[in-house]
Amino acid sequence: MILAHLLNEPVGVSHYLVVGAIMFVCGAVCMATKRNTLGVLMGIELVLNGANINFVAFGSPYLQRGGSALGLEGQLMALFVIVLAAAEAAVALAIALNFYNNYNSIDIDRGDQLQG
Amino acid sequence: MENAIYWPTFFFLLFAALACAFSLGVVFAQSVVRMAFYLVLALASTAGLFFLAGAEFVAAMQIMIYVGGTLVLLIFGVMLTAQSPFVSMKTRGGDWLLAAIVGGSLLAVLLPVTVAVPEWRGMDRAEAEAIEVVPTATRLGMGLLGVRVDKNDQQYESLLAGMSGYLMPFEIVAIHLLVVLIGAAYLARPRRRREYSDGVPADTPVTTV
Amino acid sequence: MPFSAESISTLLAIAWLLPLASFTVIVLSGRALGRTGKFASVLATAAIVTGFALSLVSLVIWHGSDHATAQGGAPHEAAPAERETHASLDNVESGVHSGAPLIQLVAAEVSTEEGGYTADAAGDHDTQKLPTYYAGDWYALGVFGDLRITIGYYVDALTIIMFCMVTLIASCIHFYAIGYMHDELHDFTDSEVTLASGEKLTRPGRFHRFYQYMSLFCFSMLGVVISGNMAMVFVFWELVGICSYFLIGFYIERKSASNAANKAFIVNRVGDFGMIIGLMALWGSLGTFSFGDTAGPDGETRAGIFSLVRPKTLEGQANEHRLVVPDGMVQWAAHEQVAGVVLDHPDDLAAARSQIASQTPDWRDDGYGYWLLVIAGLGIFCGCVGKSAQFPLHVWLPDAMEGPTPVSALVHSATMVAAGVYLVARFFPVLAPEVLLVIAYTGCITLFIAATIAITATDIKRVLAYSTVSQLGYMMLALGLGGWVAGVFHLITHAFFKSLLFMCSGSVIHAVHSNEMTDMGGLLKKMPITAMTMLVGCLAIIGAGIPLSTIGFSGYYSKDAILEQAWSFASVNPMHNALFFVPAAGAAITAFYMFRMWYMTFLGKPRDQHRYDHAHESPRVMTTPLIVLALFAMAVAWPVFGLNGLIESARPAGTLATADGGALMPNLIIPNEHGNHVDAVRVPAGLIAFGTAMFGLLLASAIYWWGLVDPNEIRRQFRAAHRFLLGKWWFDELYEVIFIRPTLFVSRCISGIDKKIIDSLIDGLALATRKVANVWDAVVDRRVVDGLFNGVAYRTWDVALALRVVQTGKLRQYVMFIVIGTVALFVLVSIVRSYALAG
Repeated sequence: MILAHLLNEPVGVSHYLVVGAIMFVCGAVCMATKRNTLGVLMGIELVLNGANINFVAFGSPYLQRGGSALGLEGQLMALFVIVLAAAEAAVALAIALNFYNNYNSIDIDRGDQLQG
Repeated sequence: MENAIYWPTFFFLLFAALACAFSLGVVFAQSVVRMAFYLVLALASTAGLFFLAGAEFVAAMQIMIYVGGTLVLLIFGVMLTAQSPFVSMKTRGGDWLLAAIVGGSLLAVLLPVTVAVPEWRGMDRAEAEAIEVVPTATRLGMGLLGVRVDKNDQQYESLLAGMSGYLMPFEIVAIHLLVVLIGAAYLARPRRRREYSDGVPADTPVTTV
Repeated sequence: MPFSAESISTLLAIAWLLPLASFTVIVLSGRALGRTGKFASVLATAAIVTGFALSLVSLVIWHGSDHATAQGGAPHEAAPAERETHASLDNVESGVHSGAPLIQLVAAEVSTEEGGYTADAAGDHDTQKLPTYYAGDWYALGVFGDLRITIGYYVDALTIIMFCMVTLIASCIHFYAIGYMHDELHDFTDSEVTLASGEKLTRPGRFHRFYQYMSLFCFSMLGVVISGNMAMVFVFWELVGICSYFLIGFYIERKSASNAANKAFIVNRVGDFGMIIGLMALWGSLGTFSFGDTAGPDGETRAGIFSLVRPKTLEGQANEHRLVVPDGMVQWAAHEQVAGVVLDHPDDLAAARSQIASQTPDWRDDGYGYWLLVIAGLGIFCGCVGKSAQFPLHVWLPDAMEGPTPVSALVHSATMVAAGVYLVARFFPVLAPEVLLVIAYTGCITLFIAATIAITATDIKRVLAYSTVSQLGYMMLALGLGGWVAGVFHLITHAFFKSLLFMCSGSVIHAVHSNEMTDMGGLLKKMPITAMTMLVGCLAIIGAGIPLSTIGFSGYYSKDAILEQAWSFASVNPMHNALFFVPAAGAAITAFYMFRMWYMTFLGKPRDQHRYDHAHESPRVMTTPLIVLALFAMAVAWPVFGLNGLIESARPAGTLATADGGALMPNLIIPNEHGNHVDAVRVPAGLIAFGTAMFGLLLASAIYWWGLVDPNEIRRQFRAAHRFLLGKWWFDELYEVIFIRPTLFVSRCISGIDKKIIDSLIDGLALATRKVANVWDAVVDRRVVDGLFNGVAYRTWDVALALRVVQTGKLRQYVMFIVIGTVALFVLVSIVRSYALAG
């Protein structure tokens, strides 16, 4: 019944935000648990993606009564985030490769030289 | 017609479920390759969500850059840093528990916020159907070049002053990407490797990326 | 006049300060003055000779400004802007006042006329006449309302005479000492000091130091003479004492010399104790120390002691400067009555003051305050007893001969010991008749004791020392009998011939290298100049001259004056006849021992042939002062030079009248000195003086020159008496038993307490402190304080180690923390916001 009710009513921003939150938390947990450096990087991608969902949701004219407040900005910011995420992923990958070259392992727990 | 399925909602739920499922898949996957694959699917689902929200250009970019570029890069990285099959990097149980607690608390903090504002909960079907669908790609493009053509549609007078062009960030990001490119290339340049533990001599020619 | 009379005080001040400058220079750079400090003598001698020149100039100015005449100088107006004043008070009453009846002789005509004496330049008999003087203050050290302590001067004829005498004799002795002290120009081996190793001490010479002390002494002595107030006199009194100490103890390595120096100073101090009591009596009751009247800043005259004690008018009537108890002393003594008057007028101080002033004459008549006057006089006299070596404080002067002979000549014959006599003369107006009688008796006893001891002494300087004590007794006697001019006259003449005698003896000692007369004899041929000058000195001291005439050596005039005054005193006070007979006998004894000394030294066969062979006449630098002084010893008192008249012009006011005794001895009469010129006094006194002197001279000649009687026989005959006299009447032993032994005993007791009790107390305290410090260190310092700081450091270290754990270096953990932090932050903010919204 809920599902039927849900299917009949249009979604609002909240629904998008929930999705974004779940993606964000997944990304955070991924970053926190994965021992593979690339897994951590994937977690970062998830986090950024969650944020992007938020941006787009706020900028969407179809989800809020009377249009969005952010308007085009929401999408623009999401765009920039994507670009920067890509850039950051490239650099992080380079670091990961260096790490692999030095330690011959991609286990991030091996890199604890900055231990106090 | 009240009981007719509102199709945007249906598709939303579909894409949302996919995105969440695959995200969880990324978290719980053991192998990094599977993680990568699940991530691709999660991001693709997100692109679908973007389409539903009216951000076609962003969705397209998501697929092109994120899925097609970044993730491919990640997969390349996975390949380059391949470990021997007997090396396992499993996360221990304690870490999982801690992560669960942390993640759970974060989720618990975030979720009430999402439903806090009444305006975000959605409209009536009638209102929703009455909204005119306007493509935004042109507007985005113009905005990136510095012209905000959507000023006309701004309802809130007070926000008119803050609507400026995005030319400057656009250029900066371009240079930023250039710098990143150079930096990443430099960082990942080929170097002599350390001696392998399985006896491969150190002066093995380096395979370039 | 090119030089005004004001310049006298300036000239005398310069003469006074020149030796101080010389002292300062020598003290600072003595050894550097010439090779071995020889130049110090030139400096000191130049200073004192210049002082003598300045004193002579002052004398000339004094004569020229007509002070010695009858009317005195014209009154000077005090310059209001200047602080020093010349208060030259003259006689106001016109005409010649016939004065009180002169003396009542028991069996002679009463003479009321002024005739019968030669009118010398001493002025008339006006008892109103004050001596001309200049008094002023150079600098006020402390001003407490009306009370003042100042550095000031009091210049009259007495001052100028003393200046001339002191500087002249000092100059002669400075020259003399250049020759006498030549041993000190190089390393000197003192034959009287034996070291522990058995050999004699050899030390570097101290030539410059001798002149340094001599300069300081001249400064001090002249300071005593020029002082204008009693406090300043006291300061310089002590200074003279310390110079004497230095000079007596010049050969300080000799135990005898250092003991003698100590003895001199301590005995002087005993006398000064009495002096301080006198000073206190004066200050407490009169509130001033000044002798003469000085001018205040507003032109008013501040009365000095003399004016307070001998005022011109008393209670509106003419007082003729008789001695009265001053108001201050009366009120001080009658303090109960004064308190009563003040209490009767509790709110009206002016009325109380006027009532006190009106009642003071009544109190004075009741006799209040007379005792205070007597005590003031006696106190000051005590100091003079110490300084002038009178009985009983005469014991230091013979021992003071340990100093070099020039010191004995200058300090202990002519000047320092004369300071006591000078002070009595200066303080004469304040002395009550009872005090004068005490002074007379003291002098009498002293002259007798000293003369008898001198008979048996064999050390030539001892003989002269006792002779000095005896002659000082004569001077005190003269002053005590009321013979002011006679006493001062004898002071001056004695200075000359005694210093001459000492210098001759020094010359002999220098030649023979021994002080004992038993080593001398027959030196007339070898040292003619010394012998002749010494003969002149001996003749002067015995008062040789043609009796009843005005021809004689200097001592003749002064000794005759003393005996005349003694005769007239004994005539009017038959109870005190001894005061004439003892000095007469003393004159005989004086003649005896002086010529005994001369004969033993210069005539007869040499007693020590070795010394006789080495004896030679002294060098010219030593004999020239001898000759100069011999001339003075002969001629200084001749009437043509007017010394008597000069002294007369300084006579204190009111002493020309015959004084009656005061409240304590009403029957005492102190005769007028001018009455001695009548034949009834002159003739017996003169003949007795001549007779006794001749008797002594003949006796000495009989024993020591013609050898009629063997001195050893006499000694054996009077063995007990001889031993008594040889032991100096056992005074030293008496003082040893009475004073020295008890003091040493007390000192030992207290020293024992100090060592055993106080020292052990303090040592114990120190030990306890050390122990406490150790315990404190161990317990508090180490455990608590150090523990505290160390603990803090360790805890910080531990905390750091604990916190270090956070930095694991693991990326995943950092991510976790980021997330946790964000969550926590969000929760906190929302809580705060909800509270804010709720509140």
